[in-house]
Amino acid sequence: MNNIVLSVKDLNVWYNDFQAVKGISIDYPEKSISAIIGPSGCGKSTFLRCLNRIHEEVPGARAEGEILLKGRNILGSKIDPVQVRRSIGMVFQKPNPFPSMSILENVTLGVRLLGVRDKSKLMQVAEQCLRKAALWDEVKDKLSQLGTSLSGGQQQRLCIARALAIDPPVLLMDEPTSALDPIASLKIENLMSDLKKDYTVIVVTHNMQQAARVADYTSFFVLGELIEHGACSDIFTNPKEQKTEDYITGKFG
Amino acid sequence: MINENESFIEESTKFNNLVDSNCTKSKVFNFSYQLQDKINYYLIKSFACLVILLLIGLVAMLIYSALPAMEEFGLGFAFGDDWNPVEDEFGALPFLFGTLITSFLALMLATPVSVGVALFINEVLSKKLAAVVSLFVEMIAAIPSIVFGLWGVFYLAPFVKETLTPVLKSSLGFLPFFQGASFGIGILTASLILALMIIPTITSICRIVFKTVPTLQKEAALALGSTRFEMIKIALLRPSFSGIMGAIVLGLGRALGETMAVAMVIGNSPSISASLFSPAATMASVIANEYTEADSDLHLSALCYVGFLLFIVTFTINGLARFIVWNQSKKVGG
Repeated sequence: MNNIVLSVKDLNVWYNDFQAVKGISIDYPEKSISAIIGPSGCGKSTFLRCLNRIHEEVPGARAEGEILLKGRNILGSKIDPVQVRRSIGMVFQKPNPFPSMSILENVTLGVRLLGVRDKSKLMQVAEQCLRKAALWDEVKDKLSQLGTSLSGGQQQRLCIARALAIDPPVLLMDEPTSALDPIASLKIENLMSDLKKDYTVIVVTHNMQQAARVADYTSFFVLGELIEHGACSDIFTNPKEQKTEDYITGKFG
Repeated sequence: MINENESFIEESTKFNNLVDSNCTKSKVFNFSYQLQDKINYYLIKSFACLVILLLIGLVAMLIYSALPAMEEFGLGFAFGDDWNPVEDEFGALPFLFGTLITSFLALMLATPVSVGVALFINEVLSKKLAAVVSLFVEMIAAIPSIVFGLWGVFYLAPFVKETLTPVLKSSLGFLPFFQGASFGIGILTASLILALMIIPTITSICRIVFKTVPTLQKEAALALGSTRFEMIKIALLRPSFSGIMGAIVLGLGRALGETMAVAMVIGNSPSISASLFSPAATMASVIANEYTEADSDLHLSALCYVGFLLFIVTFTINGLARFIVWNQSKKVGG
């Protein structure tokens, strides 16, 4: 196995009295794609949202356990969530470019928040990230148009480019293709495979075929518990647990 | 006639028995459902028309009463700065000035406070506390303006005269706005009262505007490593800009028309002065103050003309506000 970038140890998450994630431990190796699958309400999105501490935005949410990013516990009370989110980017379920900003402004927002003001530097970052997100050729002539003027799939790639702009080692994706049509989804999937060269990607998906296509590792959650975690080839062809087999063969879920 | 009625009742009773054999009460009022709907339709429609007719009638009445002054002074009325009931000389400029300056100052004071309060309630407080605090803020709007006026005369005016004026004079006294003697009552005091009165309006509209911003936008900003303050700037204030403008203009509409509280603290002098300490008068306050004492017909008519001008100003501004809010909601919807 490669180096472990992100290591989750015994993570428990509550929404007030309801426990959504129950004692989950997973290691994420560097430069790989890991998928999280499971039926609705199994806590996979909650789990993902803890990894950059954006779960704190939901009133009543509370996480216990350890999430080690290169050995540092990012759940520690002394760690600033702003710092965490600069190392762990996130792409959401629905494309969410800022409606009042142009394509260029959207992509460069992360670097501008870091204090970069130099125009040519910003342009350079924008081109680099839009190229990485396979969007450059489609938008290079209309960078000053509103981000929301793009199609859904383009918007989602814009959001990926935006997340890449601050160059986070880890990229979280929360069902990134569930709001997109199959062709736009396919583009995002291809993009994910490209991103693997530089980033560690953790993706939540409803779509098992997608997990099988793009991921190196897959975790299967049911009702907040980790049922099985392993290499994709094992999970989808030779699952150890009966529940996993039932789920991937469509017997429940 | 009687026969007809009886047969109608008979018929309807039969029908009634068909529909519901236990129904005995509604023998007479047994219209067909279509007829019921039609009656309701025309009833509601007539109410709606009544409101519109009232508005038109009101304006027509105002114009009619203002006609003598309109004939005498024409459009120049709005630009004449001489208001002298004794000589029957009337010009509304001092009141236009008073209304606009107090409203403008009130907005300058109330807007930052209101936006801040709205952000605090929406973004910082828990849901329960938010409900309580916003209730208190909205209660300010329920205080009768005469009570504001009393408070202004007995508390705010002495405060302005003894505390605020010396501070402003020593720090900003080089500006023409802060020169001259202060008697407590005047433009500054009126603006402060107005600001207080429009804060609830602006706050509650700002809260509605901020609520239309999806959580997803806020999370997008946070996920990029923005601080809470940066998130508010990027994801809340920026897309809400035109909505906030709409809130401000609605607040302005309220400030322009406010009468009682302003009449009590502005000093009621038809003069134009750069100093905020000096007394002035607004369009609404001059009507309230002079209406009962107007002994010449022209004076009365001139007051109606002032009222008509005030109506035009508030109508325009409200229309503008609606347009801005409509534009914003169109953008969010699309």
